[in-house]
Amino acid sequence: MPGPSYPALTRRSFLLSSGTAVGVLALPKVLHGAEPVKPAVVALAFDGDVLLAAGSDLMRSDDGGSSWTALPVPAAVLALATHPERPGRIIAGLASGGIAFSNDEGRTWEARSHDLPEGEIAAVTVAAGQPEMIYAAVRGDGLWKSEDAGRSWSLAMDRPWLDEVERDLLTLASVDLATGMGGIWIYAGTEMGLTRVPDCFCRWQDVQPGNAMDALVSGDAPPSEAPLPAGQPIHALASAPSAPETLYAALPSGVWTSRDGGVVWSHLADGFASAVAVHPRNPDHIVAALDGGLKQSRDGGDTWSALAAI
Amino acid sequence: MKRRAIAFSGVAVASLVAIGAFAQQQGSGAPVDGVTFLGEPVTADELTLGQELYAANCASCHGANLEGQPDWKRRLESGRMPAPPHDETGHTWHHADGQLFTITKLGVGGVVPGYESDMPAFEGVLTDEEIRAVLAYIKSTWPDRQRAFQSDVTANDEDGS
Ligand code: HEC
Repeated sequence: MPGPSYPALTRRSFLLSSGTAVGVLALPKVLHGAEPVKPAVVALAFDGDVLLAAGSDLMRSDDGGSSWTALPVPAAVLALATHPERPGRIIAGLASGGIAFSNDEGRTWEARSHDLPEGEIAAVTVAAGQPEMIYAAVRGDGLWKSEDAGRSWSLAMDRPWLDEVERDLLTLASVDLATGMGGIWIYAGTEMGLTRVPDCFCRWQDVQPGNAMDALVSGDAPPSEAPLPAGQPIHALASAPSAPETLYAALPSGVWTSRDGGVVWSHLADGFASAVAVHPRNPDHIVAALDGGLKQSRDGGDTWSALAAI
Repeated sequence: MKRRAIAFSGVAVASLVAIGAFAQQQGSGAPVDGVTFLGEPVTADELTLGQELYAANCASCHGANLEGQPDWKRRLESGRMPAPPHDETGHTWHHADGQLFTITKLGVGGVVPGYESDMPAFEGVLTDEEIRAVLAYIKSTWPDRQRAFQSDVTANDEDGS
């Protein structure tokens, strides 16, 4: 659905905003009834300091989440990806299938879906060291890759097999940590938890301490692992571009973080988390969609403050 | 073994005169240019042996021309993955020599603990020398780019990084 081209605020942000800001920006888009039903944000991303949030519309905020403007995407957005070396470029995975691509901060969009099979795009990510390399998860199909910023696509890998079933990918993150196979990792969240694949697409595998070679040498169960809670879907994953071993994950049990590439996880915030994003330069600056609202932390998740609702 | 003794003596001189394709056809104990395994030179005789061992032990799954099973990126009904190609269209060349050796000897579970796959472990079927030969043969079929990439991966692996 095309988003409106005017700034929009909900009742909650109306109340939080100052009088002047409201006068300039507020349009009562969701102002029907005393308790407006806020659509859950399903994807978040930073484009530099600009914050992008996809819910029923794709919204952008240029002021750290105080006010929001809808972007004219061609359909509902389920997934977002940006890259620090491509400011202004936004890659959106669409609920209707296919990829929408913008090179101008979301003002105009074009389809970059050639060769992609039908099926909603639940996840997209850009390779950390290769800004033209994009990965997309096609629901019911698998992991696809494009080496030319979405102009052409090819199948990279079937879906992972976890607990005796092939699992859809709900989120993808290119994690700039060496695999020992001449490349880096792609982490993925599924309805049954975390998995990862080297960017040579040899095989899906659990996150293990060290690289694949260390796992070989040790040969036995590695110590001091604290995995994410078993059996919970992972709605979103983010790897800090400036500190790739720092990961954040959004789960029904809240926001979680790992400082060692996903071996040891700790719980950061309670609530139903549907999305999380980390700032391209500051690994402690995160934004999460929690219980339908947006929250921000600038200290790695120790303290949180609410952002204006969308 | 005579073949190995020759391989380890006069390596420098031998590598000057060895031409892979020629040596491979004729049969030779001379090291083949551009092919090593775990840093050691590989002889033309080893490549011939490796080719035979490949045909007898690997080709049924990985393809007579190293092309892999059809539609190898798609999971089988069993949930396991088909055998990937060993040529440049696959991902074998992303693995260091040590990993290739371990995968062949112990199966994929040897490098990814707990991983279930249809790749058999060749321990007890092939000797270490035979595994080395078959992998050297696979490596010898790769184009320059893949060979250079895999040689870097192997070098980094030996650094322990
Ligand atoms: C019964 C079928 C079968 C035979 C025979 C077989 N393989 Fe495999 N091999 C597989 C399958 C299936 C995989 C993929 C495993 C996976 O990733 O799940 C595989 C994977 C591999 C890999 C890993 C490739 C990569 O890039 O990840 C190597 C190396 C390998 N095989 C070497 C050999 C060699 C050498 C032989 C012969 C000595 C051989 N295989 C014989 C089925 C077979």
